[in-house]
Amino acid sequence: MDWIQEFLTSGLLPGVLLALRAVTPLLALYVIWRSYTSFQKGQRRRDPLIVLRDEASGVQFPVLYWENSIGRSKSCDIYLPDGAVSRDHAVLLRREEGWFICDTGSKAGVFVNGQKVTDRALVGAGDRLTLGSVTLTLGNSDGAPPKRRRVFTGFSRRPASPRKLLFVASLVQFLMAVQGCFQDGGFAPRQFIPFLAVLVLEWSVFLVAVGALRHVSFEIETVAFLLSGMGVQLLAASDFDTAVTQLAALVLGVGTFSFLLWFMNDLDRVARFRVAIGAAALVLFAVNLVLGDERYGSKNWISLGPVSVQPSEFIKIAFVFVGTSTLDRLQTKKNITEFLIFAGACVGFLALLRDFGTALIFFACFLIIAFMRSGSVRTIALVLMAAALGVVLILKFKPYVAERFLGWGHVWEHINDSMGYQQTRVLTYMASGGWLGVGLGQGCLIDIFAADSDLVFGLLVEEQGLFLGLVVLAAMGLLIFYARSDVTRSRSTFFSIAACAAAGLLLFQTCLNVFGSTDILPMTGVTLPFFSAGGSSLVSCWGLMAFLKASDERTYAARRAAKHSAKAPSKRELEDIYS
Amino acid sequence: MKTVGFRSVVLYLLLAAFLGGVGFLTVELLLNGGKWAMQPYNGHLYAEESTVELGEITDRAGNVLAYTDEDGQRMYGYGETNRRALLHTVGDSRGYISTGVQHLLSARLSGYNPVTGLAQTPWAGSGRNVQLTVDQTACAAAFTAMNGKNGAVLVYNYRTGDLLVKVSAPGFDPEHLPEDLDTNEAYQGVYLDNTLSSSFTPGSIFKLVTVCAAMETWPDSWQERTYSCTGSEEIGGEAIACLHGNAHGEQTVREALGNSCNVFFARLANDIGAQALQAKAEEMGFNREWTFGTVPISESEIDLTGCNANQLGWAGVGQYTVLANPYHMLLLMGAAANGGRAVPPRLTENGGLSELLQGEETLLTEGEAAALRDLMRSNVTDYYGEGLFPAGMNVCAKTGTGEVGDGKAPNCWMVGFCDSAEHPYAFAVLVEEGTGGIESAGAVAAAALAALN
Repeated sequence: MDWIQEFLTSGLLPGVLLALRAVTPLLALYVIWRSYTSFQKGQRRRDPLIVLRDEASGVQFPVLYWENSIGRSKSCDIYLPDGAVSRDHAVLLRREEGWFICDTGSKAGVFVNGQKVTDRALVGAGDRLTLGSVTLTLGNSDGAPPKRRRVFTGFSRRPASPRKLLFVASLVQFLMAVQGCFQDGGFAPRQFIPFLAVLVLEWSVFLVAVGALRHVSFEIETVAFLLSGMGVQLLAASDFDTAVTQLAALVLGVGTFSFLLWFMNDLDRVARFRVAIGAAALVLFAVNLVLGDERYGSKNWISLGPVSVQPSEFIKIAFVFVGTSTLDRLQTKKNITEFLIFAGACVGFLALLRDFGTALIFFACFLIIAFMRSGSVRTIALVLMAAALGVVLILKFKPYVAERFLGWGHVWEHINDSMGYQQTRVLTYMASGGWLGVGLGQGCLIDIFAADSDLVFGLLVEEQGLFLGLVVLAAMGLLIFYARSDVTRSRSTFFSIAACAAAGLLLFQTCLNVFGSTDILPMTGVTLPFFSAGGSSLVSCWGLMAFLKASDERTYAARRAAKHSAKAPSKRELEDIYS
Repeated sequence: MKTVGFRSVVLYLLLAAFLGGVGFLTVELLLNGGKWAMQPYNGHLYAEESTVELGEITDRAGNVLAYTDEDGQRMYGYGETNRRALLHTVGDSRGYISTGVQHLLSARLSGYNPVTGLAQTPWAGSGRNVQLTVDQTACAAAFTAMNGKNGAVLVYNYRTGDLLVKVSAPGFDPEHLPEDLDTNEAYQGVYLDNTLSSSFTPGSIFKLVTVCAAMETWPDSWQERTYSCTGSEEIGGEAIACLHGNAHGEQTVREALGNSCNVFFARLANDIGAQALQAKAEEMGFNREWTFGTVPISESEIDLTGCNANQLGWAGVGQYTVLANPYHMLLLMGAAANGGRAVPPRLTENGGLSELLQGEETLLTEGEAAALRDLMRSNVTDYYGEGLFPAGMNVCAKTGTGEVGDGKAPNCWMVGFCDSAEHPYAFAVLVEEGTGGIESAGAVAAAALAALN
């Protein structure tokens, strides 16, 4: 160990650590960017899976998605401008067993080879589907040249190997561990323990998923491991015990992630449990309200012996489950009243628990799901107006609620009272960190209350620099693109909506955390996904990532459809034929 | 499915808001980072075990006023008197004195830049030292001469603008922070720099303003005006008295200024009129927002609206509600010495504060400046006695005793300058609860000038 002593006294240490802080964000940026571009490149082209042939007119309808709406409405995936066809007549969807046709409340009904379909029926090649006066024959698509995709997907043509990306992610974590080791000009090898733990965990998961289960993609997991690993290392530098708790939560989070992926494999199972999940969520809220501990103004904790959990974090996952739905259900049950009531109950409970930040997150998530389900701007506008009215009423009857947010925009006038104390510290220490940070474990913000949770973005920027902070934010922003790029390629609208809801929720939460602690928004005290100390929060983040993962059709080892294609008739052509 | 896909575009609204916020935050950090980082509570700068090594602060002769030792401890000048005399100029380790150089120039002293922030870098430690224009010895001499009283002392070179003496009391030793700083009454107001951030009743030094108003009102005959003084006179229904009830008899302006006759100036003020007096005072810098670098200066105040003859009389001798700030008085003396134009004071030799200062200020006409020089010079030769000051300095001065009431002894002032190319010094001295203008403030001014000689 002589060389370490020699190195510590050589005076080179500050320079070496500064160089490490400059390299770390570059590598992290490489991982998140290549993860996303590889994710996109690995996706199937948009070729039709099967075709529906109208023998009478000779028109061919390519079936492009896993779930396809059929009807007279122009927004349908298969558009049949025929008077006898209902606006949303039926849904043709693919499940493990094969293709199904579902009647979604049509007037004229759906017939398969002359037999009326009551709920849904399995169909195969050669089956004749009658909708109104149109009869379509199901067939395999014949090969036509696939369309080229012209979307910019990065500078490299081929996707990066998952092994390489995870290796670079581990390298980022290693560099942070090295920084932790040499904090305060000393040598603290204990800082390698969290790194080694994360290393073992991520590579075990990798070996099982890619090696044993032959999963093709590992990008979502790589990004999640990168962020969680950096978070653990950041916490370890200031409080080792917090990092140990966080590691335990990470294991639980990965478990939750895997469980949810298995659970969502069977959409019928999900449908069976939907009501139970919703009920359980409300019961959990009720229990929280009765048994919850009051901490720092909110009552959102339950203590179970030595462990305390935040139920609302787990209810986030339940909320997405209750809100999203498969296409056949969406087309049959058009209104969102049921979900509206559930969402209202959740937000109501959170307001009673005085956890206004989480209430806002649920509300934002509700808006995303509600819009994706209904597409109705009017509904959204009404809900927003109702919410505004609710806020006005709360402020009128409970004016003390507003007091918590009075410092907003005036924090520099309140540097020594609760209205601006935390925010001004965050801004001061972020500025002190500059672009490259003052060094892991060297921060001063850690002495401020909630530095490792609500203010953790400030801590990250102070110690590791604004550069890494922006890279982390870029990773959160890219979640939107992950969700969007899968949105029509997923196995069901259930996954599409769930992925968008999860990505939107995580990004919105990031907004509240980062902008709240920096006085761009009022401070509501929510956690930064993957970084804030808090087991429940980390488990919940991994759970939400499962929705993104599930919406990637490769997750469930989809059989690759033959590269057959048929040219879709234009709307004009169809109208000419059928009218 | 495609409909759901289309509707998911709504997520871009959220993303756009997110990117907007991140962009805003980044730009704000770039623009304001320096200001945000330099807060007095910043543990990187002001903690005892701070990792940031602040640069050295020296006086004009190179004497070290503040430095960081090998253990990272911030140390101050040699000897307690020096440290206490320069407390408000240099500042303290905890950031209590927000007008001190250590706070005002913390970005420079700490080597802060937006890229590396306050991080330790291999190239830190170069070009972060600050040299001040002050003279440690003269500051200490002035501080000692104040004899434990509170107040303010400013001396500057009215040609170059170099601040040579800047002392404010009460103060404390920044190297040994007193434990009873917030409880002991002796330390009341200790965080304020009296030279910049306080205004006091001026008393007779305001007669210089009244004289200038007379010059403007009667440009050709002001010197010939006489009033008779019997020690006390009823003006506006109430008495206006001279100090100790001395009867000064028939006097000209020159004699009355030397005698510091209240009756004379009270009647003069009434003949000038409230409006003209107020206008002249404002022309000379009263009711004006001055700044020293980024530090706002406490205003010198005068408000004669609606005052009666008695109040106007008292205002003419620097009582009533009139207030004067030492920094402003220094500028006024600088202007009188320099043909009417005040050169803005500066505190740093090698950049920093001086760049932020405003340009030259014309506070007096050349004629008024010359007349004041003449009158104030005769104050010294004919009334205060040349022996008060070091020989050859050719001092022009005016004393003042501002009554503050509450049974407290008066604010004792002396303002003036040396009419000498060799010693181009202007000064403003205030001693609170002193015994008299000459005895209290005069002694301090003399000590400071002697130390500069």
